Amino acid sequence: MKRLGNQLFFTGPTMIFFSIALLIPFVYGFYLTLMKMATPVSPMEYAGVENYLRAIRDNKFWDSMWLTIKYVGATIVLVNVTGFALAYLVTSGLRKQNFFRTAFFTPNLIGGLVLGYIWQFIFVRSLPTLGEKLGVELFRLGWLGDANLAFWALVIVTVWQSAGYMMIIFIAGLISIPRDVIEASTIDGANSWQRLTRMTIPLMVPAFVITVFLSLKNAFMVYDLNFALTGGGPYDSTKMVSMHVVQKAFIENNYGVGQAEAIILFVIVAVVTGVQVYYSKKMEVSG
Amino acid sequence: MRKTFVSVLVLLLAAVLVLTACGGTGNTTAESNTNNSTATNNNPSAVAEDEPVTIIIANGKGELTALYEQAAKDFMTENPNITVEVHTGAVGDSLSVLDRLTSSGVVVTLAMVEPNGVLEKYKDFGIDLSGERWVEETNDAIKNAEGTIVGFPFSIEGFGLVYNKQVVENAVGGSFDPFSINTRDKLIALFDQLQASGVQYPVAYQTEGWSVSNHYSSQFLNQAEDPNSIVNQLKAGTFDLASNEVWNGYYDTMDLLASEQYNKYGERPIGQYYDDAHVSVGKGESAILFNGNWAFDSLQAVAGDSFGFIPVPVDNNPDNPLNNKIVAGPTNIYIINKDATPAQQEAAKKYLNWLVYDEVGQDWLVNKAQVISAFKNNPHKVTNPLGAAIAVAIAQGKTMPFSTNYIVPGDWFSILGPEVQQYIDKRKSREDLAQAIQSYYTSN
Amino acid sequence: MADRRNAFIIITYSLLIAALFIFLFPFLLLIVNSFKDNGQILENPFSLPTSLSIGHFVDVIEKMNFLVTFKNSVLITVVSVVLISLFSAMAAYYMVRVATRFNKTFFAILVASMIIPFQSIMIPLIYIYGAQLKMIEMAPIPLLIALYVGFGSAFSVFIYHGFIKSIPLELEEASLIDGCTRKQTFFKVVMPMLMPTSVTIAILNVLWIWNDYLLPSLVLTKEHYYTMPIKMKVFNGTYMNNWELLIPAILMTVLPVLIAYLFGQRYIIRGVMQGAIK
Repeated sequence: MKRLGNQLFFTGPTMIFFSIALLIPFVYGFYLTLMKMATPVSPMEYAGVENYLRAIRDNKFWDSMWLTIKYVGATIVLVNVTGFALAYLVTSGLRKQNFFRTAFFTPNLIGGLVLGYIWQFIFVRSLPTLGEKLGVELFRLGWLGDANLAFWALVIVTVWQSAGYMMIIFIAGLISIPRDVIEASTIDGANSWQRLTRMTIPLMVPAFVITVFLSLKNAFMVYDLNFALTGGGPYDSTKMVSMHVVQKAFIENNYGVGQAEAIILFVIVAVVTGVQVYYSKKMEVSG
Repeated sequence: MRKTFVSVLVLLLAAVLVLTACGGTGNTTAESNTNNSTATNNNPSAVAEDEPVTIIIANGKGELTALYEQAAKDFMTENPNITVEVHTGAVGDSLSVLDRLTSSGVVVTLAMVEPNGVLEKYKDFGIDLSGERWVEETNDAIKNAEGTIVGFPFSIEGFGLVYNKQVVENAVGGSFDPFSINTRDKLIALFDQLQASGVQYPVAYQTEGWSVSNHYSSQFLNQAEDPNSIVNQLKAGTFDLASNEVWNGYYDTMDLLASEQYNKYGERPIGQYYDDAHVSVGKGESAILFNGNWAFDSLQAVAGDSFGFIPVPVDNNPDNPLNNKIVAGPTNIYIINKDATPAQQEAAKKYLNWLVYDEVGQDWLVNKAQVISAFKNNPHKVTNPLGAAIAVAIAQGKTMPFSTNYIVPGDWFSILGPEVQQYIDKRKSREDLAQAIQSYYTSN
Repeated sequence: MADRRNAFIIITYSLLIAALFIFLFPFLLLIVNSFKDNGQILENPFSLPTSLSIGHFVDVIEKMNFLVTFKNSVLITVVSVVLISLFSAMAAYYMVRVATRFNKTFFAILVASMIIPFQSIMIPLIYIYGAQLKMIEMAPIPLLIALYVGFGSAFSVFIYHGFIKSIPLELEEASLIDGCTRKQTFFKVVMPMLMPTSVTIAILNVLWIWNDYLLPSLVLTKEHYYTMPIKMKVFNGTYMNNWELLIPAILMTVLPVLIAYLFGQRYIIRGVMQGAIK
């Protein structure tokens, strides 16, 4: 009895709020996909798997999904490479490294929405001025008007924002590598590049598991930045899956299909992150 | 073991209970709402006069945010028993305030919607307003499909080729009549004159999705006396765009506006040029852009110069009425929610009457908000040159229907906007575009 | 050897300084342009301001209804973060120390829930709390806080869980033997030990909640409830091409966090590190 009291006291609040925010809406979300419903206030009608069929046939949904996957791939590579490079540089034993560390982390303080506005100013107003004054052809025309460049603009801003965060995680990993391991390899005559690739990076696998997981999840769910920087333009070429789902549900008034697409997104994210964590844990064990 | 099994079961049961409870409340609210509304329709007069009442207004047009709040304040001073809560959408926010409020459970009393919304999306929203006094002061009251007046026209707006008077007059050497440009060749001649006068790019063509789709691409509907007849043919699949001269004509003109020769952004015609285009035309670096009277807010930010509208030419026949008129009509329609309480509905009607008859309201609408009133009794005239140009064109009979009112703007913006932009960017042929518009109508 | 060492230092420094420039120049651009008017901004975003007038800031404070918006953001962030830390610590502690099958299952569910994208909950969320329960109309701020506590709990419990596992049992056992109840033990003995972890968790949650846009934009429908990012969005819509107001507004949205960061950067960085190591 006392045990039940303690159980409720300690875990009760978390259970309640978790259920309110996540559990109930998530379970209910599955139920909603079986209903035909235009807006939240319109009457519901049982529709079976129709919403899923319509989601599967929605070409724009798959276009946005494919684009998101490309974005996920590009950002995972670039965010981690940049983050690791920064971490490596600031732990190489120079003075002022705390200052650099602090500076590189700063972009993380800015939320996606404001981030988008800041970089809009850079891509729309500042770079073209720079391009014209210095004669840099690549910058002369606004990037956000070109489907390819607008996509890379999103990637660049993402790297700019999250590389600093990953850097911190890598630093934590780097300083936990025992000195004698590195020293031993130095004595063996390994040069610094060999030390990096043969000793340091394999020892960093646990850190990579975290950073890859974080960048994977963030990239799949990107919305604020997408919304504020490109708004999906030019001509929907940068509309990623979250934005598509939001528009499907709230703007095209198609709650049922929107929710079905959101569930498909969940399944894809679950499978991808599951596979990632499973294989990298395996690497960790064997490496 | 057994104990944990039981506790998991209890948790699941609790979850299921909450879920079913949700479903249950859903049904009852829906029912009680309908009950309310029927009750409302039966006895609208049973309302006590001075009971305090709060009304919720959902406005469009985010440019006027501060002004709407001012209007609410002024109105409340004169009607102390009524509290007005104003919500305004942000410019470019494609999710309307009304939808957002409704989906979060708020019963909006007075909503501003697009004219088309009265007929389509919100066709079951509004109450009958045909008994209102203001009906006799306007030609633009909006009727529903059954012909009952349900919509209050808040404003008259129009669009066309906005030009900077100073720059154009300098180029043509003297006074300039915008209606003298009534063929495409004359427009080209004007562009050339502008270039000869030193304006390198006469046009700063801003190609936002809503502008190139909802506004520019709906103009062809005006080739019929009743634009709806063409919409109906499109729905029936009997209207062939690719072989339609007027439809093609508008895109021939668009090609000109977007061309590398004349357009400041010709090298990369799609991009975020809204502010730059208005700054360029405002400062006189370019002379012409395609937009509506609301563009003045942006033009004014950089220059107080005077501006006007040139009709968008569709062919080279100077007698074609399409070449001699600008597009103008009622926009921003107020409708009163049938689910609001009778007292709220009465208060909302008061607010509408305040806009039409009260001196402060009249002054607010035209002088402060610079809105062209749809009501004959309003003595004020807008000073904003683009608004004034529309008012003059209306007086001279040189306007044709606001073609955007005959399409579903939300759909056009999100579905056809990207298609038109791809056409402008030469990634889609004109046949592809024709196909896209036709299949939008036939597949729905 | 010394030459190589020197060359290495020079290369490293130049790389770091180049990176520093890239990471900080957007901030510099904002600061420089916040003092300029539209004409100067559009003419050349890189030019220095001719005067240091704060006129636009004053304008923005008034137009953004800054004080109210700021207060909303602070209220929502602080209450949510305090509740998340407290409840998550309690839950994590109990789950570690009383490892019943139920607690293990619940913990597994919490951890697994971290991969649920917000988008797949958002629609039912609006449906249940908006259309059905009318909470969005009647109590938007408490609702928003409750949702933040719920969304934040998984990650925070996870971090606390990892940390508590590493605390030796002896101290608690001593206090339990002294006749303290489990509750007393938790608050008097365990909570103080959790302090550094709590700071970490609080910081990560502050960054998330302060900057969040999508969830509050769906829940807060009335102007006087708006948080900074929503106000920023509305502001951007209203003053579309008016950079002379937008830039100061952006700066003022970012400034509170930047100032907090200047003072607390050591804790913040340490926090992120701890969060990663688990």
